[in-house]
Amino acid sequence: MKKKGATRRAILGGIGAGIASSALLKSQQDPFRDHSRVPGIDELKTVIEFEAVAYAKLPREAYTYTAYGSEGEFTLRRNREAFDWVELVPREIAGASPANTTAEILGTPMKFPILVSPSAGHSALHPDGELATHQGASAASATPMIVSANASFPVDKIAAAAPSPVWWQLYPQQDLDRTKDLLDRALAAGAKAIVMTVDQQASYYERAIHDRHLNAAPLGGAGRGRGRAPASTNPYRIQTTRLWYNWRYVDQVRKMLTVPIAVKGVLTAEDAKEFVEHGCDSIYVSNHGGRSLDYDPSTLEVLTEIVDAVPARVPVIFDSGIRCGSDILKALALGAKAVCIGRGVRWGLAAYGAPGVQRVLEILQAELVMAMNQTGRPDLASIDRSLVRTHFL
Amino acid sequence: MRKNSLTRRRSLAGLGSLAAPPLMADQPPSLIGEPPGRIAPLADLVNVLEFENMAARSLAPAVYESIAGGDRRFFDRITFRPRMMVPATQLDLSLELFGDKMFAPVIAGPVARLQQYHADGEAGMARGASEAKAWMVVSGESSQPLEKIVEASSTVLWYQVLLDADPSAIRARIDRAVQAGCKAICITTSAPHPAARRPASWDLIDQLRKGLNVPVLLKGIMTPQEAETAVKRHIDGIVVSNYGGLLTPGMAPPMETLPSIADAAGGKAPILIDGGFRRGSDIFKALAFGATAVLVARPVVWGLAAYGAAGARQVLEMLQTELARDMAQTGKPKLKDVDRSVVKLHQA
Repeated sequence: MKKKGATRRAILGGIGAGIASSALLKSQQDPFRDHSRVPGIDELKTVIEFEAVAYAKLPREAYTYTAYGSEGEFTLRRNREAFDWVELVPREIAGASPANTTAEILGTPMKFPILVSPSAGHSALHPDGELATHQGASAASATPMIVSANASFPVDKIAAAAPSPVWWQLYPQQDLDRTKDLLDRALAAGAKAIVMTVDQQASYYERAIHDRHLNAAPLGGAGRGRGRAPASTNPYRIQTTRLWYNWRYVDQVRKMLTVPIAVKGVLTAEDAKEFVEHGCDSIYVSNHGGRSLDYDPSTLEVLTEIVDAVPARVPVIFDSGIRCGSDILKALALGAKAVCIGRGVRWGLAAYGAPGVQRVLEILQAELVMAMNQTGRPDLASIDRSLVRTHFL
Repeated sequence: MRKNSLTRRRSLAGLGSLAAPPLMADQPPSLIGEPPGRIAPLADLVNVLEFENMAARSLAPAVYESIAGGDRRFFDRITFRPRMMVPATQLDLSLELFGDKMFAPVIAGPVARLQQYHADGEAGMARGASEAKAWMVVSGESSQPLEKIVEASSTVLWYQVLLDADPSAIRARIDRAVQAGCKAICITTSAPHPAARRPASWDLIDQLRKGLNVPVLLKGIMTPQEAETAVKRHIDGIVVSNYGGLLTPGMAPPMETLPSIADAAGGKAPILIDGGFRRGSDIFKALAFGATAVLVARPVVWGLAAYGAAGARQVLEMLQTELARDMAQTGKPKLKDVDRSVVKLHQA
């Protein structure tokens, strides 16, 4: 098998330099396809490479859970495309000293304007779950971590696992006592801010459902059809548990808190303004990594609309689609004060545990510094819209 | 262990969160890891697009050709502007049209001779639509007698007529349909059918309508001028349609002309539309552009061809469900809330 592959490779290699960049040759050399060697962590130089390792290491369902978007995944794809619609316009070649990236968001000081996005169930990716995620993030210049409401470990355990700051994600709970209880637990664990996620009320993941079918017996049997949404009392067969969301709840949560609150899932100027009027301290522009509503816009294309709608004192946080340092610089140029990383961190965790998380974040941090140096921006304050030309459709 | 399960096929199928498996993409609709020719259990299909492949496997190529494909590229130029914190517990997709209550604004459109796709034909389609609480437009070229179709149905049926005969013969068909219980007449002004390529004149339409006690819709309107005239002549409803692109390839998709037609009609007549609707989000976008309801033709036939009435039902219910999710998640829990502010049209 191996010998045969090497022969083909040799033949292809001999054809000449012209073919060196062909997709065919690349697939022959792809370390993840033609044998199962897992590369050492130092062999990976970019964040996207971690996905292949995560894929190789994870059970299909765990990989798919990380990968999919809602319905036809238009928004998932558009999140990435949008970064190609923004050009960086370098001002001058910077001096020798590396760019200063220190920031402070909602009272949390950071060495880089990068946080870990809240994402669920890390123990499906690695036995140490969020404990490892926090350790890895902390090792990467004390990157703050937003702990998911659906974490595999209790928030106090995660917070105690490493020293970097922790924020906590709240999914609205119709029961106010339950809300209070959850918030108290997070605050007691040391959460410095609360991120309330307000999107994804009734999402549907076709790719996940297919996986469940494909993993069952190939020609029918008891296991098939398990992927169908659970029976719903709703006449349109949709999930109803999050359909009650209302503005009064925003006020009620705001009143329960003495720490800052960011609202995650905002995609319009109108909503951004309204959340600020309801006392929210930060707007977190996100389409849930393409997992909320298919045909949501990419977050990058609506970012300036939202930045322009809120007062300067309200920091705008950004996620959905970031894979490299220049992506981060583009988001900062369009007005974000910090960005969050979801899938990249999950790939790092799945691939190598805490060191993988650390490595993913450090790659992004280094790439951001490099991008700032190359575009002549010595610090975050010097990053503004003059740094980019946008070509949104 | 994992190494064994990580076959080349699986890597190709799943790797890369940017690219959904081909199954989910619009084209080509092939199933990963499925034996060729297999008809998947109905419960395994996750969206309407997948029914096309199942129909292709159920039909002779020449027959499948007549309901293959569809162009929904225009829908990819429209994104949503979702609003948060709007309660959707009272989500309601229903509307009233011509005095009847419609469960959701998705109607099974007219397709000729359904028995070429499934032995249950129009009666099967009527059963499927009824089970999905969806209305149905019965084709003027049905393979089963109208009475049999009506008998199988417990939903609102409209009747489509083609202008392919002399006026008195057409009028006789209309009268028969009304007598059989059809609640509206949908006059197809031109169709991808040699015999029907007779230009519709307003005089002919007036002649056909005279004394009718059911609403009359005109199907095939593609310009605001036609829509304006139709409204002036008290036509009861307009169906924006280019016959799935069959008639004049290269014509603008109905969705592109919908806003101007809705403006021209000025709310004086309900606007319906067909052409390439495969997703609840496609339907949502048409409603945002001013449509009252949407006709889906090929997808329901895919369902019928592969699974009979149950397939047609599933297609309609999937569209209703997807539309409901979109309304809930954009903060537009009632149809009247769905307006142009909830969508953004982008350049090609």
